[in-house]
Amino acid sequence: MSDLYREYMLDHYHNPRNYGAVDGPDVDIDMDNPTCGDKIHLTARLDDDGHIAEVQFEGQGCVVSMASASMLSEEVVGKTPEDIAAMDLEDVQDMMGGVRLSMGRVKCATLALNALKRGLKEAGKLADDTEA
Amino acid sequence: MNLVVEEIRSEFPIFQRKIHGKRLVYLDSAASAQKPRVVIDAMRKVYEQSYANVHRGIYTLAEEATEAYEGVREKVARFINAPESAEIINVRNATEGLNLVAYAWGEDNIEAGDRIVVTEMEHHSNLVPWQQLAQRKGADLAYVGLTDGGELDLESLANLLEDGRVKVLACSMMSNVLGTIPPIRSIVEMAHQAGALVVVDAAQAAPHVPVDVRALGADFLAFSGHKLGAPGVGILWGRRKILESMRPFLYGGDMIRRVEKHRAVWNDVPYKFEAGTPPIAEVVGLGAALDFLSHVGMYAVRQHEEMLVAHAMAQLLDVPGLRIYGPGPALRGGAVSFTLDGIHPHDIASILDEEGVCIRAGLHCAEPLHARFNLPATARASFYIYNGEDDVRALVVGLHKVIKILGRG
Repeated sequence: MSDLYREYMLDHYHNPRNYGAVDGPDVDIDMDNPTCGDKIHLTARLDDDGHIAEVQFEGQGCVVSMASASMLSEEVVGKTPEDIAAMDLEDVQDMMGGVRLSMGRVKCATLALNALKRGLKEAGKLADDTEA
Repeated sequence: MNLVVEEIRSEFPIFQRKIHGKRLVYLDSAASAQKPRVVIDAMRKVYEQSYANVHRGIYTLAEEATEAYEGVREKVARFINAPESAEIINVRNATEGLNLVAYAWGEDNIEAGDRIVVTEMEHHSNLVPWQQLAQRKGADLAYVGLTDGGELDLESLANLLEDGRVKVLACSMMSNVLGTIPPIRSIVEMAHQAGALVVVDAAQAAPHVPVDVRALGADFLAFSGHKLGAPGVGILWGRRKILESMRPFLYGGDMIRRVEKHRAVWNDVPYKFEAGTPPIAEVVGLGAALDFLSHVGMYAVRQHEEMLVAHAMAQLLDVPGLRIYGPGPALRGGAVSFTLDGIHPHDIASILDEEGVCIRAGLHCAEPLHARFNLPATARASFYIYNGEDDVRALVVGLHKVIKILGRG
């Protein structure tokens, strides 16, 4: 059985953490992968120090996109927008238990992270020229 | 004549390959088909024995290459029953052929206020070129609708044609998602009566059903070689009179008769539309693929696929939570798109891959079609001459595994 459908992944897929929307969000963004039909609505709130206090998401998509969103919603609490801007595919793969993603699934896995990065930019929490 | 799958399959070297230790079950021919040995050999022969640039050289190799390249034009003309080989234009793929028409014909023939008609089941390649042409010209772009059963709504076409503003109708001969085979002859007749030209996208049809451009009566028809077992090369057929009236699409060598510093005179059709060095070995490979298909017989191909698709649809409908989109086997080709309740098509494709089963998941370059049926994505199994009931069995077994892994119950 491939890494993608291990219990850890399926648990996050069937029982997503932080599923829904944050009240009074600082970040509020919709993003999709038009070629595969994954969609996410991601909201986040920052605390007074500018750290991520809470992330929630809702959407539809494959195991990879939804489980990675669920994991990310836990992983990023307490991080600064700059910490998040510095996260990349490697971090997402580590977060998912060290899976190696095939090229076709990279976009699915990074959907939530890219949504959060863009949402932070749009909310003015990250400089526009930050790599994301 | 019944087609013997084992014999056909043995002509395709790739089926010796194992995927994750399993037999290769290739169900993605609607995206691109596998290549028979004769095609690979024909291309190798070009490179090993007769390669040179075409048309210009006067030495033996160049003459052999030109003869091989031009000979395929005749084969293509026979394959689609075109009146003459001068109407056969070699392009990169169906997409390029359709773009050629949208630019080289569209730029001079579409004006503000004209209407361009496409259908809701078009692949993006027969939709976006027209959408962008309409935008450039200030023309209307209108859609022939689809019924819930995935057939074209001809009443909506009749309504669109009524006021005589339609200049061109672009229509697929077989949907790459629903498999729908529309009544293209009636559609052409309706459009012609209203004074519109008809551009047929035969990318899905040409590999699977007999195509006869004279019987169809259309004005342009495009298809891709790679979907019928040839390498990456495409064909655009057009009526000579219209082709001659059109401006070139790409400019450069081979498409000109004379060039002066400030003016140029175009070559005759089809060369006017073949600028630059063409894909020589690929075209020869296309010739070998057409010989192969003609040997099998396109009626036998169609009969085999109709039977196989009927079998596949019956088997698939026994899988719990599985829904198939599009019409029944008699009105469709080899593409069968489906969803499994609560399971994303990507996951279906990933788990099937572990079983050696190759299917496609996503929007299949047909976003408006998916929007019409309110589908975020579908999984698609598509069949060709090398597929048999054993492949359907592997697909169904794989789908049960998908449900076992991802189903909540």
